[in-house]
Amino acid sequence: MKKILDQIRGNKWLQLGLLVGYIALTSLSLILAQRSVAAFLLLLLSFLLLYYTKLPNWSKWAIGLAIMFFILPFSAMQGPAYQEYMDVATLVGIYVSMALGLNIVVGMAGLLDLGFVAFFAVGAYTYGIFATAQANNFMPFGTYPLSGNSFWIFIILGCFVAALFGVLLGIPVLRVKGDYLAIVTLGFGEIIRIVFNNMDQPVNITNGALGLSSIAPPKIFGIELLYSNQIYFVVLFILLFIIFAVRSLEHSKLGRSWKAVRENEIAAQAMGIPLVKTKLMAFAIGASFSGMMGVVFAAKQAFIDPTSFTLLQSINILVMVLLGGMGSVPGVILGAAVVTILNAQVLNELTMWFNSLSTAGIITLPDAMSPVKMQRFFFGALLILFALYRSKGLIPAKNVVYDKRKFLSEKGTKKRLQSVAAPKEDEHDHTGS
Amino acid sequence: MTQVWDTLPQVLIDGLTLGAIYAIIALGYTMVYGILELINFAHGEIFMAGAFIGTAVLIGLTGLGWVAVMPAIFILLLVLVITGGLTGMLGMGIERLAYRPLRKASKLITLITAIGVSFLLQDIVRFITETQQNNYIVNTPSLFPGSLSISGLNIRYSFLVVIIVAILMMVALEFFVNRTKWGLAMRAVAQDQDTASLMSVNVNKVISVTFFVGSALGGATGVLFAIHYGTIDPYIGFILGLKAFTAAVLGGIGNIRGAMAGGMLLGLLEMFAAANLSAITAGLLSSEYKDVFAFAILILVLIFRPEGLFGRAAIEKV
Amino acid sequence: MTILEVEKLTKTFGGLTANKEISLQAEANKITAVIGPNGAGKTTFFNMITGVYKPTSGSIKLRGESIGGLKPHAVAKKGISRTFQNIRLFGPITVLENVLVGMHTHLKAGIFGTIFHLPGVDKEERIAEREAYRLLEYVGLEEHYNDEAASLSYGSQRRLEIARALATKPSVLLLDEPAAGMNPKETADLTGLIEKIKQEMDMTIILIEHDMKLVMEISDYIYVLDHGELIAEGLPAQVRHDKKVIEAYLGKGAAEEQEAEG
Repeated sequence: MKKILDQIRGNKWLQLGLLVGYIALTSLSLILAQRSVAAFLLLLLSFLLLYYTKLPNWSKWAIGLAIMFFILPFSAMQGPAYQEYMDVATLVGIYVSMALGLNIVVGMAGLLDLGFVAFFAVGAYTYGIFATAQANNFMPFGTYPLSGNSFWIFIILGCFVAALFGVLLGIPVLRVKGDYLAIVTLGFGEIIRIVFNNMDQPVNITNGALGLSSIAPPKIFGIELLYSNQIYFVVLFILLFIIFAVRSLEHSKLGRSWKAVRENEIAAQAMGIPLVKTKLMAFAIGASFSGMMGVVFAAKQAFIDPTSFTLLQSINILVMVLLGGMGSVPGVILGAAVVTILNAQVLNELTMWFNSLSTAGIITLPDAMSPVKMQRFFFGALLILFALYRSKGLIPAKNVVYDKRKFLSEKGTKKRLQSVAAPKEDEHDHTGS
Repeated sequence: MTQVWDTLPQVLIDGLTLGAIYAIIALGYTMVYGILELINFAHGEIFMAGAFIGTAVLIGLTGLGWVAVMPAIFILLLVLVITGGLTGMLGMGIERLAYRPLRKASKLITLITAIGVSFLLQDIVRFITETQQNNYIVNTPSLFPGSLSISGLNIRYSFLVVIIVAILMMVALEFFVNRTKWGLAMRAVAQDQDTASLMSVNVNKVISVTFFVGSALGGATGVLFAIHYGTIDPYIGFILGLKAFTAAVLGGIGNIRGAMAGGMLLGLLEMFAAANLSAITAGLLSSEYKDVFAFAILILVLIFRPEGLFGRAAIEKV
Repeated sequence: MTILEVEKLTKTFGGLTANKEISLQAEANKITAVIGPNGAGKTTFFNMITGVYKPTSGSIKLRGESIGGLKPHAVAKKGISRTFQNIRLFGPITVLENVLVGMHTHLKAGIFGTIFHLPGVDKEERIAEREAYRLLEYVGLEEHYNDEAASLSYGSQRRLEIARALATKPSVLLLDEPAAGMNPKETADLTGLIEKIKQEMDMTIILIEHDMKLVMEISDYIYVLDHGELIAEGLPAQVRHDKKVIEAYLGKGAAEEQEAEG
């Protein structure tokens, strides 16, 4: 057995062949089976297998994109559970984006934010208010609801409004010492929820506990996107942009400054890194991802109310980040996928399975203990187990690996960075900084 | 303005009751933080567990017929001791299983574990309760029904009970911490763990005792809460815990007297807000915002005076 | 020319006076040492210069410009860099990345430039990586460039801290007990490195150190602190025989013995 594994590990073409075969098999079973959660999950698993193969990066991305854009939708399309599958896939996309946002705050900058769902809420309500008649209550100009055409602008708008909230939240909060930061952000998250819940008087801005309904669906070229499979592609594009942005940040001055601040604030300052500004950037960017997806969520669900934005949700996303691997992009993606599917599909399936077992008289599980209700229990247990035994997560964060050949070649000019003092071997370069 | 004045006596009474409860729960937070520099997120749940265990014991005793026969004070004492003992052990167990292995780990991870424990406890209580009686909201039988009426003021007997027991507990803790050997050991470990161990203090034992005492008190407070307010659910620990933590920070985290003061102060402020917020802000903010009020205080204190009212600013060695 | 001028710098913490009216001049391209028994207030002194503490009174001037009370990152930007008494590396990240962090103030990439890969940004990164690698070569750590910083040996970690400090391209380099915990061979290598920096770079070095051999060997001028006060200053040869200095380190008896020997 070991010999076979070693052989696979060594041979790229073998890996490719096996992977393609696996994808074909799972998509085929998805197409044939009427409604099989297992087949769907197995197809999603192919992403994980893809990650571990030793194929060159460009081909991994090509295969991954092919699965995301064609194979998955196509296979799911053949059966009656099409919208269900796409719904789950869309939800995964939304949560992966948020988890990546929280990953920047918690994983990279080391700031434990327990109120993260607030930015999601901000994005959702930003679109929700203007895409329903709600805005008429307080806006001095314009008629509402805005048509779904404005959805696309609102994605950008939601991004910036959430970022703004991130900064506003950050400014007071970041002066607070490490552990307290968690409590304070938790407090803020709750405050936002309570405020949204009560903003129906004196001026009705959020419609309070009643929520906003009939939110305008996205509209493009005159076509309304009402179905999950359509929203799926919207989510996919935003998600890909977010992944691209996060990877760029990881290998940049800003990403490094976050890691420095996380590891040793005093040393980071001594290197010229402004603490507050750096932390605010982390908050703002993390928040902006959630804000964008909040807009999409509102459009997709067509109804939002404060109960969608509770502490449980914030913890949800935290579990994703911890489970996957703090600071690790592939880890967080995996973690988000696992937790979302757990919530959306697996718990339901487990409950139905237990129900069938009890009708068959094999075991009786009291209703109070049905898996669907035991969400907190599972989260709590997962958090504890992973914190104790695998705090680095399923796919631990890996350091950036540099290839000295790439930067030592004299490509690019022999320019030097502007300096205050320079080694005397080059000429004195007292151009001030 | 007259509304403020009129409601003041009732606000005082309710505020003191709530404040006493906050104060004792705050003690649990502050003691653990003083020793381990850890925010025991699950402490609120210990309080909640105490409320449920106490209720269960009380219902059991009622079933046995003891309640009808014996004086209420005695029953209360019995319930407090049993519940305190059980929650104390629960707290100790949590420290042993979930926190001790992570002593060397980063604060982030320990905090996350605490959150996990918190969630776990909430759900365990929920499904046990729900399995028993189809609903996770429980009504606690009242041990001290009835009330006094003094010049138009309605003072429930249970209020007196809560206040007196709370004060007794606080006095007992003061004595324990300042006048006993164990208390001295606790203070030593809180100051400097390594040196204390060099002075042959068994640090692990001291930490266990700290958790036991804090949790026992928290659990006992849960009983008081259940008896006074009558209705409990698995989620009371969360909000109350958060506010008690606010109280601990307000008073100066790690400072026991500060926690007591902070608790009382917060209770009074909150009741005041609940009664008068609408009037003061001319209807802009309803009393729903009283929770926001507590959070706002927390945030303000942490920003402008993180060492609290009675604490001393800590200086990090560079 | 005096690069760094400190005048009557004082720091009190509540009732404790950690530094009392300390005055110091660091000459350009020279190594100025600050020595004294433990608890003399040397690190507090450094902390005030680098902005970690705000001086209670007194002034700090870099090339005539007052920098007292500035925040640490602002001081770093002005061109003062340091190493720490207790090593403060960024442990889990790579050796090269640690040095790259040091280049923070010289990189211009902003948030939008980074995400959208605007033209100058990637090129700037390459140049920074190359320079960081060169610095690692300078201190002899280049073969560890992809290793985790925390995995380095103690002596290597200290050298990495120096490389990181150099990456900020400072005009004043503060070394806080760089030889602490080193064996004689490592100390000799370190001495050589500091000398090399002094000779080859346009740098002013201020050094806190307990290793007297190292101090006497490379210092151009020495200041001696004890109980927060400046008790002596001068050239190494003078300070070595100063009665107050010997008394501070070894006690009154030793001082008198020294005097008797003449």
